[in-house]
Amino acid sequence: MIHLYGVVEELEALPPVAGVGAGPLERCRVEGLDLVVSREARDGGEVTQAALLSHANVVEELMARSGAVLPARFGHAFTDEQELADAVRTKAAGLARTLNLVRGCLEFGLRVLGGDSAAENGSGQLSGRDYMQTRLAVERGRRRLARELHEPLAELSRASARFGGASSDLRQSAYLVPRQDADAFGDRVRLLEAGHPDLTIVCTGPWPPYSFVANGEGEA
Amino acid sequence: MSLSEQQSLKQQVTLLELVDRVLNKGVVVSGDITLSVADVDLVYVGLRVLLSSVATLEEPRERISTAGAAR
Repeated sequence: MIHLYGVVEELEALPPVAGVGAGPLERCRVEGLDLVVSREARDGGEVTQAALLSHANVVEELMARSGAVLPARFGHAFTDEQELADAVRTKAAGLARTLNLVRGCLEFGLRVLGGDSAAENGSGQLSGRDYMQTRLAVERGRRRLARELHEPLAELSRASARFGGASSDLRQSAYLVPRQDADAFGDRVRLLEAGHPDLTIVCTGPWPPYSFVANGEGEA
Repeated sequence: MSLSEQQSLKQQVTLLELVDRVLNKGVVVSGDITLSVADVDLVYVGLRVLLSSVATLEEPRERISTAGAAR
């Protein structure tokens, strides 16, 4: 099986790390795209912590050495070079567009926990009308809070993505930030933390741009 | 939340975000899906454990903020 780590641009040399199952890293070129892969003798794709971390580690190392990386999702493997080449060929144009989107950028993840649970917990003793008004106020508050948290970060980002349901109090989003703005992005997160002591804001990253490569169709 | 609790929360969220990215994000060029259903379930059991740990860490903070609001 051939395990794909990603499509890279301006990679000077392969990182000195092993791939999933200890297979050595290799490069191959399809339609002008530079791919980094490794091979496994047995059927790959077993989800072990070691395999996941190996994949993530290779992608991180590629990110540190490349102008742009499209990280591949774990768990899809190719039986041979021909299958890999055929698959990449059909998506080559979209992959090239996506490389343009993520070039020079890092991804940051943001999770926000807490907020308005106290208001909702007290709703058991309210009349129907009061309950609905409380819910409306809570919903408006959530939207306002989402804007307050999102807008300062989106201003510094080339793209952003929001995950999870709108009613969840656990907000999860990702921001694609130009490298030169990464420090400013961190400063804004710290400002948001200081301005919202009632929330737990966890910013993670920098990550390779996993959340912005979609299906290689050039969309965020 | 104490500094060590914050550090622990940060580490757990980072691991959760890592696993989520590697398994659910990233480009799919195609290829056979080599994950079996059982394997994926196992990983998600791990994710839920992580999430509930995060929620547990939240409780003391919520109690403190509720007490603060009552004064």
